[in-house]
Amino acid sequence: MISTSRAKLALSSFLISLSVLAQTGKLQDEKELEAVDFSTIKKVLQQDGLMESSRRKVKEVQILKKEQGKVESGRYFYPSESEIWGFTSEYWLVKNAQLLNWDFEKPDYGLEKSFSTTMETLGFYQKKYKILLINSPSLVKASIPGDGEMIFLLSVPFIKTLDLSKLEISLLLFEEFIRLEQGYFKKNVGTEKLKNLAGTNFRGKKPDISMIDELLKNYSNQIQEKGYTFQQQFEITKKMDSFLKSNPALWNAYFRLLGKIDKFIKVNVQYKDYVKLYPSPEMQVKWLSPAEKVL
Amino acid sequence: MWWILLLPTLLFADTVATDEKVVGVFYFKPMFGHVHQSATISSASLTTIQCSHPIKVVESSKVSVSAEWAYVQVADYRGFLLKQFLSEKRPDCFQGKYPKFFDAFNLDLSELYYWGRLNDQYIQGETRVK
Repeated sequence: MISTSRAKLALSSFLISLSVLAQTGKLQDEKELEAVDFSTIKKVLQQDGLMESSRRKVKEVQILKKEQGKVESGRYFYPSESEIWGFTSEYWLVKNAQLLNWDFEKPDYGLEKSFSTTMETLGFYQKKYKILLINSPSLVKASIPGDGEMIFLLSVPFIKTLDLSKLEISLLLFEEFIRLEQGYFKKNVGTEKLKNLAGTNFRGKKPDISMIDELLKNYSNQIQEKGYTFQQQFEITKKMDSFLKSNPALWNAYFRLLGKIDKFIKVNVQYKDYVKLYPSPEMQVKWLSPAEKVL
Repeated sequence: MWWILLLPTLLFADTVATDEKVVGVFYFKPMFGHVHQSATISSASLTTIQCSHPIKVVESSKVSVSAEWAYVQVADYRGFLLKQFLSEKRPDCFQGKYPKFFDAFNLDLSELYYWGRLNDQYIQGETRVK
């Protein structure tokens, strides 16, 4: 009895599966294959705009990666030449803070106003500058480049001992301004390494800071030992002459100032190196003096 | 009865707190600088800060400063900074533009201190536009 009913059940399930196969004509495996066949869903993806959005995302990721690379690479640049000069000048001042003794309390001498007025009288507009007063006779004056500005160093003991007026100090600073404008400092101190490395990228390497070490040495040598040549000093004096000629009061003040410095350094041993660095006030007076008439 | 003596102090402290307000957040412009103990260049340094450091400028009825100086709060310090060193916008700093180059110098504390002092000691000027 049981075996007859089992045979009936098996026959009916076979007949049912046959009828299903006849209806769809596809096996379960075939259907599964269809589900992973992208060519069949391509149309659906295109219709939904998903292909376009995925392409856009790939592009965005590529752009982001490129930008990230640029930002990362930008962190490894050497500064521009002008920025290196500005950085090195201040670094030299920091390194020589004790020697130059510029960190001291001083009254307001009103130099900013008088120097700006002198510059403007002579037609020099929109010029940025910094003045650093030094409480030491070891360095009388100097001008060093900043980034888009000029840095002037001036000895307070020198201006006090010589009892210089604000106008005389301004003219002394103006002479330093001309000196820097002429480019002598950069010419005497600059190196090939600076020119080659400024603004370049050093990614994958260590930055070559020996470039700055060399410049620092050259700064000290130029400001404290080497100074300027007779030729450079002659050209500066002639420039001063032509700029001041249109203003006799300033020209006379400058001429008297040079005479004053000449007399002072000849008798004051403390300032014997002045002539070595800035040759020489005596010659400058001669270069400025009108030629003697020969009868 | 000892608390009666303390009463005016407590009342005064309350007045100080309510009279203060933060005027705005500014950014430090020079490479390095000092927050000063008082509104003079020669006063002691409370802390050294570097370019782009955010600074809260505080107005207080208890502190009067000249037009050149600002009363500021930097971290836990209250002190004074020259207004010419403050910027409303985040400045373009050297150490921010060239971080890897700048880091290579590994400046020590003494150098940071003097760099800050250098900015205090400069007499800065610019001739006017024609």
